[in-house]
Amino acid sequence: MMMSDIAKNPVAHSRKKRGSVSSLSSHEFQRREIHGRTKDSMSTVSYMDEPSQRDDVSRLTVQMENTYQLGPPKHFPVVTVNHILKDVLTNYLQEEEYEPELCRQMTKTITEVIKAQVKDLVIPRYKFIVIVHIGQLNTQSILIASRCLWDPKSDAFSSYVFRNASLFALANVYAVYLE
Amino acid sequence: MRSLLRAWVALPFSLPVGFNAEEAHNIVKDCVDGVLGGEDYNHNNINQWTASIVEQSLTHLVKLGKAYKYIVTCAVVQKSAYGFHTASSCFWDTTADGTCTVRWENRTMNCVVNVFAIAIVL
Repeated sequence: MMMSDIAKNPVAHSRKKRGSVSSLSSHEFQRREIHGRTKDSMSTVSYMDEPSQRDDVSRLTVQMENTYQLGPPKHFPVVTVNHILKDVLTNYLQEEEYEPELCRQMTKTITEVIKAQVKDLVIPRYKFIVIVHIGQLNTQSILIASRCLWDPKSDAFSSYVFRNASLFALANVYAVYLE
Repeated sequence: MRSLLRAWVALPFSLPVGFNAEEAHNIVKDCVDGVLGGEDYNHNNINQWTASIVEQSLTHLVKLGKAYKYIVTCAVVQKSAYGFHTASSCFWDTTADGTCTVRWENRTMNCVVNVFAIAIVL
């Protein structure tokens, strides 16, 4: 993980639209060599929670006042989120074997669960991105990398890898402060 | 007079444009093609390849000059008979922020690149 920092001038929001977008696109790479046919599949579930009715009035952008805060009053608790990731992954995957259909559903469910738990921490003015990768554990090679362009003083990420006999799971949570 | 005043106050401000996913898609696809195009999976180079894909994508996205924070993720898997799933879920401002995913493959490997763009309000 490498991050490059950029200094930003903080501006405030007194009201903002929060929406939950779950783009649960599960990309499955699986080649079944049965009868010499290969099969790649991809399933996408995309939905958005609609903002409440009264927010329709505020769809017109309004000018906001400054809070004069230079940084986040409450920082993203990386260690707590690490524990959350560890608990969720262990609970959901401890006894599971790799199966294509099960893991397809599991990736989507786990992302949702982690997002809900991180939201429960109620850290104001932070936006979250949760990414989960699940794969079959074997002799194939895989490399997952990410790079972020943000302000390292206020933004952070948290990551956890879980392994059992037949599968591995990687969960990443990126937290970005709303400036 | 009063009705004129009301009309002036009610003038709508322009709405935020939102993230241009297609533009980002093209940028990232070009980066991946440039780095991985024509290559076979090679364990020694894979680190370097992912690093350059991510770095180049990020540099090109920044050159667009838009007020966004970017998160670029890249997963490269060797083509094998084994399965791999990824999923993502985001909690953000749906009007201003956006995401884009690019899937690329060749004979020996699969590559998934995700770009998340979070708006900075200036």
